[in-house]
Amino acid sequence: MLRWVVPALCVIALAALPLTGNDVLVQYGIDALLFATLAQAWNILGGFTGYVSFGNSSFYGLGTYGTAIAMAQLHWPFGVGLALGAFLAVACAVLFGIPILRLRGHYFAIATLGLSATLAAIIANLNISGKNIGLILPLTRADNAFYEEALILLIAATATVAWIAKSRFGTALLAIREDEDAALVMGINTTRYKIAALALSAFFTSIAGGIHAYWITFVDPAGSFDLTLNVRMIIMAMFGGPGTVYGPLIGAFTLSAVYDVLASSISTAAALLFGIVIVLAVIFMPRGLWDLARGFRQDGVRYFLQNIRANRL
Amino acid sequence: MLLAQILLNGVLLGGLYGLMALGMALVWGVLNIVNLAHGAFVMLGGYCVYFIFTGLGIDPFAALPFAFLAIFVLGYLLQRYVLNLIVRSAQLNTLLITFGLDVVLTYLAQLAFTADFRTINPSYAGANVTLFGLTLPLLRFAAFVAALLFAALLWVILQRTRLGRAIRATAQNLTAARLYGVDPAQLYALTFGLGVGLAGAAGGLYGMVAQVTPYIGATLTAKSFVITIIGGLENPFGIVLGGIVIGIIEALASIYIGATFTDAISFGLLLIILIVRPMRGLRTA
Repeated sequence: MLRWVVPALCVIALAALPLTGNDVLVQYGIDALLFATLAQAWNILGGFTGYVSFGNSSFYGLGTYGTAIAMAQLHWPFGVGLALGAFLAVACAVLFGIPILRLRGHYFAIATLGLSATLAAIIANLNISGKNIGLILPLTRADNAFYEEALILLIAATATVAWIAKSRFGTALLAIREDEDAALVMGINTTRYKIAALALSAFFTSIAGGIHAYWITFVDPAGSFDLTLNVRMIIMAMFGGPGTVYGPLIGAFTLSAVYDVLASSISTAAALLFGIVIVLAVIFMPRGLWDLARGFRQDGVRYFLQNIRANRL
Repeated sequence: MLLAQILLNGVLLGGLYGLMALGMALVWGVLNIVNLAHGAFVMLGGYCVYFIFTGLGIDPFAALPFAFLAIFVLGYLLQRYVLNLIVRSAQLNTLLITFGLDVVLTYLAQLAFTADFRTINPSYAGANVTLFGLTLPLLRFAAFVAALLFAALLWVILQRTRLGRAIRATAQNLTAARLYGVDPAQLYALTFGLGVGLAGAAGGLYGMVAQVTPYIGATLTAKSFVITIIGGLENPFGIVLGGIVIGIIEALASIYIGATFTDAISFGLLLIILIVRPMRGLRTA
């Protein structure tokens, strides 16, 4: 009962937010919803299989450029642009995933790190993508439409993760995280599962990118293939609770709020405090807010000490 | 002749890259931490040498050991009192916390030193020697030699001292090292200090051949990554060589393809190496 009521109430509250008529709030809302989607998409591979991807910013970049090329160069509608971006991102995920997902641990992370730098360089040299300068998209819509699309996308991503968490597919992904060799021996085709997870992750990431591109009506290589964006996805997912359904959303909303409040009150020190929050979070709640909520109810302040005791040298 | 000159410039820059990556490889190999704040320590080392040089008028090469020591102490304290708390948690957490440290160090540097470009510019910065028709910039050559000296110092420490033996033993088997009386908390802190201290020394050299700003860390971390992968974790000579290879590739790319591509090319190379020779037999790192 509670499992359905709380999410439903949250969705209603979020859907009602534009009714307040506060434009700034809606803009913050779009940003937060898109970040939550990115964190949730990262969670599909990173949270469930433990494979740390720094390549999601390239799926985001392909999503923004797919939409931008379709709309600014080919004069196709927005929906076709999103589909083009998603196609490019999923194709990239599959083609790139086949050689790269054989790598494990740090090596996988580093290999994905190379992807966005390489793609950004290619994009910055193609005429159709406007080279280094980027592309300007037609300016046509009100923010409320973007808000609704971002919310629908987030719900779709979360529903997908909720399905994964309960399905055989999700169990296989978790088995890979816990012990990949054992999973392999049990007859799980680990490569196929990992590629599917990466492709799903790429799909949602690219759509979020497409919506963002049309919203701000501008794309350029540096902004679209931004590694810090990827790091933010990871931090939000980790902060909330990787491998859970709602953790990444909670992490994204909390950190977006913290960051926006800090940035508006003490702009110079905002990034500094953000860094300190990350360091403290890793020390005191290494399994995220979701686990903190459970553990704190059970053990109180001792929860933090238990974490340190479990992970210190 | 142009080609030979480009190669020479690449080699000279590569020595410094190699030194920087040695520090990262040491921490990665022994502590199993990929230190995303590594470049930030390079940056801090650069500021250290810059301020010793401009403030006290001490020759920048003489200032290098002080920069090494200062960053060593900082690294020792960070590992001892912060990183040791999480060293046994999931790999992702060590990535995250070092990323957090990177953010903290970068913005502390921005607050303390402003975002101005700083260059360490001793009086002999413009001096050249011409050899076989090639121009050898003296400062860069001295920086190259200093980088090799620091790398050799690390090798001597690792091979010839008790500390070095303890570090190597820990890298192979922590439990066994512990049984032989190695105190892991102390050893981890010393190793981390040594690793980032080398980064600090490399930072001082970096300040002599390029500009130091609070934001140089991220690309230097990425470069150290690439070099460590190319060189192989367990082989210090391979890493110095990897640094030189990257230096040459960057020099060639910036002349023949365009300076904006240098990073993309080193990453492209990294991808190819990882695909063709996955992990060099290291199944899990």
